[in-house]
Amino acid sequence: MSKKESGNKLNGRDLINIGIYTAIYFVIAMALAMTGLIPIFLILLSSMIGIVGGIPFMLFLTKVKKPGMILIMSTIMGILMFVTGMTWMPIPFSVVTGLIAELVYRGGNYKSMRSAILTAGIFPLWSCGNYLPLFLQREQYFADRTSYGQEYVDSVMNLTPVWMFFVLLAATFVCGIIGGLLGKALLKKHFERAGIA
Amino acid sequence: MSEETWTPSKKKSLLDPRTKLLLIFVEAVLVLATTGGERLFWFRIVFAVLPFLLLLSAKRYKICIIGLAVLCTIFLLEYTVFPYAHGLSASMLVLVITIINRFLPAYLTGVYVIRTTKVSEFKAAMEKLHMPDVLTIPMCVMFRFFPTIREENEAIRAAMKMRGIRFGGGKVGKMLEYRIVPMITCAAKIGEELSAAALTRGLGKYKKRTNICHIGFGWADIVIFLLVAATVLYWILGVFA
Amino acid sequence: MIEFDNVSFAYDAAPEQKSLCDFSLTVKDGECVLITGPSGCGKSTLLRLLNGLIPEFYSGTAEGKVQINGEEIQGIGIEELAGRIGTVFQNPRSQFFNVDTTGELAFGAENLAIPEEEILRRIGRTVKAFQIELLMDRNIFELSGGEKQKIACASINVLEPEIILLDEPSANLDYEAAESLRQLITCWKEMGKTILIAEHRINYIWDLADRVIVLENGALKKEIQKEEINRFTEEDTSHFGLRSLERISPVSLVKNTEQAETDDVIHLENFHYSYDKKHEIFNIPSMRIAKGKVTAIVGKNGAGKTTFLEVLSGIRKNDGIMGLDGKSYSSKKRLGKIFMVMQDVNHQLFTESVLDEVLISQPEENEEEAKKILAEVGLLSFADRHPMSLSGGQKQRVALACAIASKLPILLLDEPTSGLDHAQMYTVGEILNRMKGEGRTIITVTHDSEFIEHCCDEVIQIKEA
Repeated sequence: MSKKESGNKLNGRDLINIGIYTAIYFVIAMALAMTGLIPIFLILLSSMIGIVGGIPFMLFLTKVKKPGMILIMSTIMGILMFVTGMTWMPIPFSVVTGLIAELVYRGGNYKSMRSAILTAGIFPLWSCGNYLPLFLQREQYFADRTSYGQEYVDSVMNLTPVWMFFVLLAATFVCGIIGGLLGKALLKKHFERAGIA
Repeated sequence: MSEETWTPSKKKSLLDPRTKLLLIFVEAVLVLATTGGERLFWFRIVFAVLPFLLLLSAKRYKICIIGLAVLCTIFLLEYTVFPYAHGLSASMLVLVITIINRFLPAYLTGVYVIRTTKVSEFKAAMEKLHMPDVLTIPMCVMFRFFPTIREENEAIRAAMKMRGIRFGGGKVGKMLEYRIVPMITCAAKIGEELSAAALTRGLGKYKKRTNICHIGFGWADIVIFLLVAATVLYWILGVFA
Repeated sequence: MIEFDNVSFAYDAAPEQKSLCDFSLTVKDGECVLITGPSGCGKSTLLRLLNGLIPEFYSGTAEGKVQINGEEIQGIGIEELAGRIGTVFQNPRSQFFNVDTTGELAFGAENLAIPEEEILRRIGRTVKAFQIELLMDRNIFELSGGEKQKIACASINVLEPEIILLDEPSANLDYEAAESLRQLITCWKEMGKTILIAEHRINYIWDLADRVIVLENGALKKEIQKEEINRFTEEDTSHFGLRSLERISPVSLVKNTEQAETDDVIHLENFHYSYDKKHEIFNIPSMRIAKGKVTAIVGKNGAGKTTFLEVLSGIRKNDGIMGLDGKSYSSKKRLGKIFMVMQDVNHQLFTESVLDEVLISQPEENEEEAKKILAEVGLLSFADRHPMSLSGGQKQRVALACAIASKLPILLLDEPTSGLDHAQMYTVGEILNRMKGEGRTIITVTHDSEFIEHCCDEVIQIKEA
């Protein structure tokens, strides 16, 4: 009696695993977002999600053996951002970043630790989708605030230049890698020994 | 023996889940992205007030009051502090004021939707919208799992409190490890058991499931539709004007 | 008909140890079989082979045949067996999928694509048979453990399987909830279901069983037929290392020698708690607890026993004052002065090894002493293991070892014997007696009458406010 080969199709257990780990990940992201009320943390948010989120995410990757699971998790994060009022933009963005993350881990045959850490670097990029409206529509965004005087609008524009978005992406990626390494360390120290990895 | 058929409760929330999704979308587009500019000003006001009315209808007074308080604080900041601010602090202030002003109605709508939608209603809506199971099932699991995570988190916090503050030596790294790792471990264990219980009851056996929960549009949905349609029409007329 | 034919099984996690060893058993249709034996005897393995959790969730090597009505079932997916076999699990908190009870009852039948009218008819029948009208259209998170377990049984019943498996269903239930579980199992017996129950706590279903199987180390130790079941005595159970057969309500055991106002008591004053302003959970104007003894706190479902311990330990703020040795302690001062072993010990295990867990509990780390304590509770050979990888009984002992190591004078326990077998329960008793010998005061909430009679000096009942 060997373990049944279930092929590459996602079964009920995979879908439940996605739900459980996305829930854990989302709760952690929300807890971090609470610090976002202080403006400086708002900018650091995606990086913090990269680091702390790396812990459950690396554990999630030990459950990922079939294509699609990472993409679904990323898409759900995008949908949840939509529901919590972050516009529709995070949805397509998270689909794209999720797809890239999926392909990277697939490249490692869903088991290589190196691609797992790389995936942990790419995955949190979904959270940068929340910044998109701020950059893409900043002209409109601040247009009706001209009553404050052009000086203010200019200084705000200076605070959010377009290249800043790419800095955020890069910072999030680096923090994601750190989170992946942290997650890997905790996998070895806790989760594997506790028998849940 | 006479057969007794169970009658599911007729209690439903005011709006159909699909209308709620539409509403979130409209809030996001309209209130957030300033589409339509000044012309739609009054419509924007209506859609900014709407989430408060919906929260009131669902008897969520607390979140309503918090929302109002935040709004008042922002207005106060805008009209008292802001005129005296200069340079970077002023820019920061503008950023905070605009972000909160824009995001608040959409966020409150989100709160309303999450608090008033039952999992079975959500499942029914996803099926009606032809969303695939690979999205519906994980999201149902999430709704089920959030309260569990909260329970686990509270129990772990209580255990840490009982053991005293000395515990962890106040180091951030250790605190993180002792809080997050047990939370994930406990949640993952419960998740395994949940998975086993769901599979033994046939989850994922057939593509087409039955759903005993019915959703449908009511008068409130029609009011929202008319409002949205009027807004879109007015906006389009404006574009071609 | 269920047939196990020379079945052996070893988990991949422990390949050298056979969980089932050349085991054969035939269960006739409509029979109710109770399977018992010490922890790790293989009774859960037996059920997992039937419902498909082996090999999907627990991989391992199996030999022999497992058949239902002549059909080999190994290798059939778990979900394929849904509707034919229903399983009630141990933990009431983890086995529901929906948030509302009605959705939960319909869940299995919806998955099997049974037509809607039929599902509603079945729910109607189930609600009537199990008398759960009051639980319908409720949020499952707000139900008690016993009520959750009822919903779990009802949800299985809607699927109308011929075979029902129960894997330690009462482990987290109190006395009354176990009695209502007995009612539901009686219901199933009357419907003619084939029932297999794996349990340590055998008293509440003993006389319902048509046959009792006692396992030890994966092999049959004793098969008890119906006529023998009725003649089985307490001596026989202790001979086989089983739990007591007597069904005694813990509330009937109340014995509280009136404590004089001396130095030998812990005085509680003005202990009350409410989650919201309207509803008070319990209200204890004054209570005296003997110092240096083991005191059991008993009470009906919803009397606020767990909340009482949380208030006493200081985890929950309130204005009750505890007097000890002439000093008074407010809830803030009690925090960190009292050790509490929670019902779900998983919540209080933080570190990566059993030894570390004891070390951080000590006022000052002392490895030699920590190892001595681990030896006393019989866990020295597990010192390097991750606490979360241990069995339930072992985790319980890790928490007790931490309590010993903390050197705190007062120890609170919340249902310390839930899910423990006879031997493990006695071990807990020994550890408590040893701590008592050191002059520490132990206060335990429990529903376990056998445990109370075994090692508790005083029994106090708290009542709902």
